[in-house]
Amino acid sequence: MSLAARTLEAAGIPTVVMGCGKDIVEYVGVPRFLFSDFPLGNPAGKPKDKASQAATLALALRVLETAPGPRTTVQNPIRWNADGLWKLDFSNVDQLSKEEIARRRAEFDKGKEIAKQRLADDRKKGTAA
Amino acid sequence: MSTSEPPRGSATSESDEFGFAPDHDEPVPYRKRIHDYYVTLGFGTPYRWAHYADVPFVAVTKPVAKMRVALVTTAAPYKEGAGDQGPGASYNNAAKFYNLYSGDSSKDHDLRISHIGIDRKHTTAEDINTWFPLPALRDAAKRGLIGEVAPRFHGLPTNRSHKTTLDVDCQDLLSRVQEDRADAAIIAAN
Repeated sequence: MSLAARTLEAAGIPTVVMGCGKDIVEYVGVPRFLFSDFPLGNPAGKPKDKASQAATLALALRVLETAPGPRTTVQNPIRWNADGLWKLDFSNVDQLSKEEIARRRAEFDKGKEIAKQRLADDRKKGTAA
Repeated sequence: MSTSEPPRGSATSESDEFGFAPDHDEPVPYRKRIHDYYVTLGFGTPYRWAHYADVPFVAVTKPVAKMRVALVTTAAPYKEGAGDQGPGASYNNAAKFYNLYSGDSSKDHDLRISHIGIDRKHTTAEDINTWFPLPALRDAAKRGLIGEVAPRFHGLPTNRSHKTTLDVDCQDLLSRVQEDRADAAIIAAN
């Protein structure tokens, strides 16, 4: 998605990325970024919290309008929760048992096969999914 | 690696004294986490993220309140027969799509994120408005925060190949955003 922002911007269309992966988006390098410090999958606000969703979008629009230059990151002031312990869990090998690692390995191998098939099907059709 | 209960973030005596946040309470270092995860689980070569020293930037000359704004998403249209796509679905390769798609911005859509590497423990993906702010964008137009919503939103594949993303998907996206004469784009990543 960061590549999309860069492509549009380079063609003269201003962009703002809404996202939760701060280090990833900043590593790629985008013009404007509203960072929400939420678990991945919630770039537009908290679930079933319309006020947080409206505020997040409004802030993204302000970032769009007021960013002084490229690589402008603004952090959404809304907190996911008070303790922030969710941050310890994502793909954190320090938090996984040996059994869990083995289970995830097996799941990954299975998933790869399904994706291969799906790609072949989509290519054949050549139409939007 | 220990199989005993791992430590769950703790406040230090300093954080107690000065009101500092606990050590874990900072943006998640995803690149390092994912790299270590790939290596530990034997997933082969760790993913190489796109990375640039230079970043394009175009000055915004028009008030956002007068802009036609496009929305871009990585979410996938719900696909009958493609397995569990949430809420609460595990990673679903069958729900992936590999071609850019567009939809009517004036309508509601059933888009899911089971094909993306979201946080499966803490994100249940039960509320589309947390990843696809189209209704919020329409509200913003009604309230005068933006001029109008561009007629189409666009769904970008999360293809692993940088070449395809850059040479095909991003160019296709650019053409469609230009066709719609959008003044700006909001890109909702995940």
